Amino acid sequence: MRTFTLPGNKKRDYAATFLLLFGGYLLILGLSTQGLLNRYYSGILIMIMINIILAASLNITVGILGQISLGHAGFMSVGAYSAGLFLKSGLMQGLPAYLCALLLGSLAALILGFLVGIPSLRLKGDYLAIITLAFGEIVRVFIEYFDFTGGAQGLSGIPTQKNMPLIYLICVISVLLMYSMMTSRHGRLILAIREDEIAAEASGVNLSRSKIFAFAYSAMFAGIAGAVYAQYMGLLSARQFGTTASIDILVMVVLGGMGSFTGSILSAIALTILPEFLRAIHEYRMILYSLALIIVMLYRPSGLLGREEFQISKILTWLFPERKKPQGKEEDTVAEVTVPAQSPLQDEEPGSLSSESAFSETASPVSDHAAVVSGKNSAAPLLKTQHLSIHFAGLHALQDFSLRLMEGELVGLIGPNGAGKTTVFNILTGQYRQSSGEYRFQDRVITHEKPDELVHMGIARTFQNIRLFKYLTVLQNVQVAMNDKMSYGKIQGVLRLPLFWKEEAEVEKSALELLKILDLDHVASHRAASLPYGEQRKLEIVRALATRPKVLLLDEPAAGMNPIETEDLMKTIRLIRDRFGLTVLLIEHDMKLVLGICERLLVLDHGQLIAEGAPLEVVRRPEVIEAYLGKEDDQDEAMAAPDFIRSKMLESK
Amino acid sequence: MNFIYQLLNGIQIGSIYGLIALGYTMVYGIAKLINFAHGDILMIGAYTALSVLPLLNARGLPVWASGLVAMVVCGLAGVLIEKIAYRPLRNSPRIANLITAIGVSLLIENLVAKFIGTGAKPFPRVFEGEAVQVGDLKLSLPMLITVIVTLILTLLLQLFLRGSKWGTAMLATSEDYGAASMIGINVDHAISLTFAIGSALAALGAIFYLAVFPQINPTMGMMLGIKAFIAAVVGGIGNVPGAVVGGLILGIIEALSKAYVSTALSDAFVFAVLIIVLLVKPSGLFGKEMREKV
Repeated sequence: MRTFTLPGNKKRDYAATFLLLFGGYLLILGLSTQGLLNRYYSGILIMIMINIILAASLNITVGILGQISLGHAGFMSVGAYSAGLFLKSGLMQGLPAYLCALLLGSLAALILGFLVGIPSLRLKGDYLAIITLAFGEIVRVFIEYFDFTGGAQGLSGIPTQKNMPLIYLICVISVLLMYSMMTSRHGRLILAIREDEIAAEASGVNLSRSKIFAFAYSAMFAGIAGAVYAQYMGLLSARQFGTTASIDILVMVVLGGMGSFTGSILSAIALTILPEFLRAIHEYRMILYSLALIIVMLYRPSGLLGREEFQISKILTWLFPERKKPQGKEEDTVAEVTVPAQSPLQDEEPGSLSSESAFSETASPVSDHAAVVSGKNSAAPLLKTQHLSIHFAGLHALQDFSLRLMEGELVGLIGPNGAGKTTVFNILTGQYRQSSGEYRFQDRVITHEKPDELVHMGIARTFQNIRLFKYLTVLQNVQVAMNDKMSYGKIQGVLRLPLFWKEEAEVEKSALELLKILDLDHVASHRAASLPYGEQRKLEIVRALATRPKVLLLDEPAAGMNPIETEDLMKTIRLIRDRFGLTVLLIEHDMKLVLGICERLLVLDHGQLIAEGAPLEVVRRPEVIEAYLGKEDDQDEAMAAPDFIRSKMLESK
Repeated sequence: MNFIYQLLNGIQIGSIYGLIALGYTMVYGIAKLINFAHGDILMIGAYTALSVLPLLNARGLPVWASGLVAMVVCGLAGVLIEKIAYRPLRNSPRIANLITAIGVSLLIENLVAKFIGTGAKPFPRVFEGEAVQVGDLKLSLPMLITVIVTLILTLLLQLFLRGSKWGTAMLATSEDYGAASMIGINVDHAISLTFAIGSALAALGAIFYLAVFPQINPTMGMMLGIKAFIAAVVGGIGNVPGAVVGGLILGIIEALSKAYVSTALSDAFVFAVLIIVLLVKPSGLFGKEMREKV
């Protein structure tokens, strides 16, 4: 591979950010060494920096992961007490002691973060809020209970360290570490979870692992803030870290804008300064804060500064219009992409079906494929279910469903609404577990595998009611699903080591190539939610493709498309099937599409398979017509159905 | 002997947790919201009871009658909070609802702290009367009343939900707002009713609590609220009898750990129960597993 170099605009951005931060450092250094600040003001400055770390770190849990934590101050106290006890022991002195205390504080908080996160975040729902609330109280109880922590009297006599430039550096480095983690592949998965858990899982994201990591990472920085605080105060008492303190931090994040680091930083600054200068605010602080929480949620649920990930870029662009932050990178790269000579995925699939037809874009007759496929039919089926049944509280959504998908097949699953088609998909992708029956994929019995594990085995899907990561860009939607193509670790990502750049660039390139196939590359940098309906459906297909599936399950891919778009889609489905050697099972109500591209049809009605076979033959069967149009006297209407379908077919040719 | 008394203590406090947990579980069932303000509603109940005591005394009414006033006031407060703070956010992301609930809880707590004061206020004896002698055991009157009233109310509530027109309307609403409104159920009314019942039960729980710990302060609802919520989770959130069983389990564990391990750490035991339940059976003892519609 060619060696990777940083794009020019990115270098500029980094230089600008560095200059800004370095300027801040010089300012702080000047202020503190020249003695321009009295103790009161320098105290406020240090508290601002501590609160910035706290708010930015809580932003990871609340804003980026989208969970509420009411015990952030509890993690802070764990960091503070660990650091305080270590320093008090006098094992080390000076700067090494300071750094060791930081490390210890962050580690203690990180470990507790895992311990709290594991029981609460494996589950869907809002358990984290209540568990962290309890956690904050329990930490306080324990600290006051034990003697070595100073009990209820508090811990005093911690060697203090009020070196402002040093605290500034810690603050800056902490925020940078948080930001860069959240903009690496690991952070992208967390964002995806916030947007849509089910879609994230269906894109191969291990939900609990990512959630627990995000929460523990967030706790770790609360520990760092606590360690800094301990050495600034020299005196700790457990009551300072109660629920009220946690709420203070939460208010900063909510007001600043959930998901925005810059927002958290700005509101941390504002909410540290305001109570100091406005006594009225100080006196009624908690009343005002609680009102603010309610009013912001009622009128501007995303927080005052919204959810923008990197507002500082806007400020910079506004100040220096020619500069661009990394967020703008997509536009530049999109332009460079040319028609790929070879698909990014094809390397992995040397034995796949021939791709000559893929680029000719001519709709090859169904019989051709059938011939190719039948050649493979002698082999064992790729996916096979036997007597699959599922019932929900008495309702038999699916009964005795048996399915064999041969490699390379393109099969349609049709049936009236409520027949159980999506339920089949939900079982095949691990969303639901069958009540009885057997499900095999590649001769392996699927029993307890979760959706993300099935994605890794090669089963991908799209959703009937579109589930995109709405707030992420089109490109990011695909990148989430390509997470497995990258191998760089968390540390490599957070420190932006060469492997990060190399793999991110490769994935971006292949993502754009995939987008190009469905003609979405020109909107790569747009928010997914901003796409028109048809393109959103196509993006779902690209995202599913990006997981490198063997079987692709399409749930009503043509719903809401106009006839021309549907026509396009038919070509595209055939094209991706051929090109990636996929096996496709699709649910669709559009008969033109179903009869136009499917090689085999399965018909479901009331949870039971009522017909299976060649499309044109199946749709003429009386039981199928009956399922769609009802039985008995309406013979005229029923007889008309095949003609109707036939005429639709002729139209499409 | 001492063990049996501790057990009875646990059952008494557990009944109180159960009464409060009913509100959590009903509101969660219908609005899918952890109503953080629930603990503060019971605190309002306690202050209401205290403030109407002079009036009741003047008319020669017993202290426990203040609980009835508190139930009415809290029922109204619950309805009002839902209408003002939660209803506008019904279709918003859950996190917005949760933050609002936290905001409401804080607001109530701090308004009371600011304008009434943070100091603890004493509450007179709720139930006058002799302890009942059963064999060797002396059963205190508050204990008997608390447990019996809780059991009767839970039974009535269950009958109301299963048998009455309004109860079934509430159950239907908790399943699906859209479907409920399509068959002519007024979803707003059903939700209001849920908040009213839950809040009134919380007020009753507050009075029973005052019969054990006769002190009122603005933060009394917090720990009580957390524990009641844990009781609801242990019993299976959304499940009415489960809430009471969860409350009893929690109360007994707390009483026994207070008596035999450590008073200071008894709360830690209660939280340990929550963690264990979430790890082993997240849907609680009687809860059904939730399926998210795909």
